[in-house]
Amino acid sequence: MDPAGVFATSFARDQALIRTGKQGLALALLLLFLLALPELVGPRLVAVATAMLITAVVAVGLQICTGYAGQVNLGQAAFMGAGAYATAVAATTYSLPFWIAIPLGGCAAAAFGFVFGLSAVRIKGFYLVLTTIAAQSIFHFLVLNLPQSWLGGSNGMSLMPAELFGFVFATDRSIYYLCLVIAAIMVAGAFGIARSRHGRAFVAVRDDDVASGMMGIDVVRTKAMAFLVGAFYAGIGGGLWAYYVRFVAVDQFTLFHSIWLVAMIIVGGIGSVTGALVGVVVIITIRETFISLGPTFIQIAPSLGGDVVFAALNVFLGGIIAAFLIFEPRGLMHRWSILKRSYRLWPFPY
Amino acid sequence: MSEVLNYMINGALVGLLYSLVAMGFVVIYRASKVFNFAQGELVVFGGFLVWWMVVSLGLPLWIGLPLAFVLAALFGLLIERIFFSRLVGESVFAMVMVTIGLLILMRGLILLLFGPQVRPFPIIFPLQPVIIGDILIPRALLIGGIITTVVGFALSWFFNKTRPGLKLTAVAEDHQVAISMGISVKRSVAFAWVLGSVLSTLGAIIYLSGKSLSFLASEIGIAALPVALLAGFESIAGVLLAGIIVGTIQGLVTAYLDPVVGGSVGMVFPMIVMLLILFIRPTGMFGWKTVERV
Repeated sequence: MDPAGVFATSFARDQALIRTGKQGLALALLLLFLLALPELVGPRLVAVATAMLITAVVAVGLQICTGYAGQVNLGQAAFMGAGAYATAVAATTYSLPFWIAIPLGGCAAAAFGFVFGLSAVRIKGFYLVLTTIAAQSIFHFLVLNLPQSWLGGSNGMSLMPAELFGFVFATDRSIYYLCLVIAAIMVAGAFGIARSRHGRAFVAVRDDDVASGMMGIDVVRTKAMAFLVGAFYAGIGGGLWAYYVRFVAVDQFTLFHSIWLVAMIIVGGIGSVTGALVGVVVIITIRETFISLGPTFIQIAPSLGGDVVFAALNVFLGGIIAAFLIFEPRGLMHRWSILKRSYRLWPFPY
Repeated sequence: MSEVLNYMINGALVGLLYSLVAMGFVVIYRASKVFNFAQGELVVFGGFLVWWMVVSLGLPLWIGLPLAFVLAALFGLLIERIFFSRLVGESVFAMVMVTIGLLILMRGLILLLFGPQVRPFPIIFPLQPVIIGDILIPRALLIGGIITTVVGFALSWFFNKTRPGLKLTAVAEDHQVAISMGISVKRSVAFAWVLGSVLSTLGAIIYLSGKSLSFLASEIGIAALPVALLAGFESIAGVLLAGIIVGTIQGLVTAYLDPVVGGSVGMVFPMIVMLLILFIRPTGMFGWKTVERV
């Protein structure tokens, strides 16, 4: 809902993402803040922010696949891993520059995701969850059992830092800016996809695939495309991850990570790109707090040792998924829009 | 020849064990339309209950086991009260994600309650194997197979032939329709979780008897998935047949393919079977075919 006094005089105006001067100002301030972040905070928080940017790309992809198109996907971490491995192979074995290797990773992940998306054509609901879980364990099996010279097996793969015109992205700060630029492009792209005819087809298929088929939407193509796009985003995120950590190993991409990603979009709000971003920031902030509180936890329950943080994270993750689905199924974005609405209508109740 | 037969019989019996766990899936699905991803965790939790009663508190088996079953039933009821009584009629996504949330939550809780140590599980069935000719069969598996078959047919009769069972089945068809027919969905969901929880504890006893117990035992939940899928999620007696089929094949694959391809074929095998079933016949052998209307 818009503030009072905003009237659109054309369709383009009505569909615009930035509709008032104040929204533009808020976006500019956000970008300014993101650009200035490494100057404002310490190296630990820059690292967290970089992880957030990378996760944001992956979560936005999952939001397109699950939130918009309704294709439940618990394999997003495997798709991210496929992208990370493809990037690593392109960068080390074929020594391609990063601006080719990362999109290549995206394409490889998209191809991997597409294979599992094809099964979405025949099945839906929890059956789909089964295939994406299978994607997860087949990814593990392939990486660990293919010849060591291809993907490094259980040793993982190391990468050289990204390089552009002689500039090496080796410091935390430079890799932060690299991730920021790519994440901004990908998020802007996601807003574009969501508002395009494909995005509307996604939503139609999510709401009722039989009915949307009758309306002339190619349901099969739409479902497969949702997986393709979602996995492409995961692959780009995986490529960034590979250059950020400069080491790719199979246990960085487990089912557990996929569940974290789904938790992010549930907490943020299903079916909203902004929601995915909110979810990423909220969940990673809480998770990092848990991890930095770890030593305190261990003092409380010394018999558990290092496992207590892991156990507490499990309880938190499971609890937050269930709690949001039961009490706030539309996520934090829903709360936010209620808040906005009541602020704009104030002092009237509705 | 007797070697092949040995692998096949043992595989089939392990498959029947999977059937018992898969029955947990089916029972909960049949009576509440929820697909429970936390089945493996329920098994582990049941296992820990038995361990707590028999080893930690030192109760004799004939008190400890029934007590563990009662606690498991109460736990199932608790899950229904906290999570699923609020989710009647919700979307598949919400239901599935809540069970996945439950999976993660239970894993954390089990770690917090019982600790990360590996515990010895009490020996419920005698350890010495049954020997028929050249064939060696672990006694727990054999007794377990018999129990599974009996339980399977009893449950199948209950769900297909008795009035309360058919009422539960109506809930799996459609929550809203069931409510409008005067069937209490909440009660049915509660029953499903109690039954599922008790079956999981039984599965844990057969699976873990005389072995060691840690939260890693929840892998059996994943192994049981293709069994439930092959049978079709609605068929209980079908699960027995599917378990024997999957178990036999898995036994042979682990015995003859693992040395060729590398260690973990046995691990990824259920996933491949699952994908094949999903691609070829998503409703399984005996599943319901639903007609979709708009």
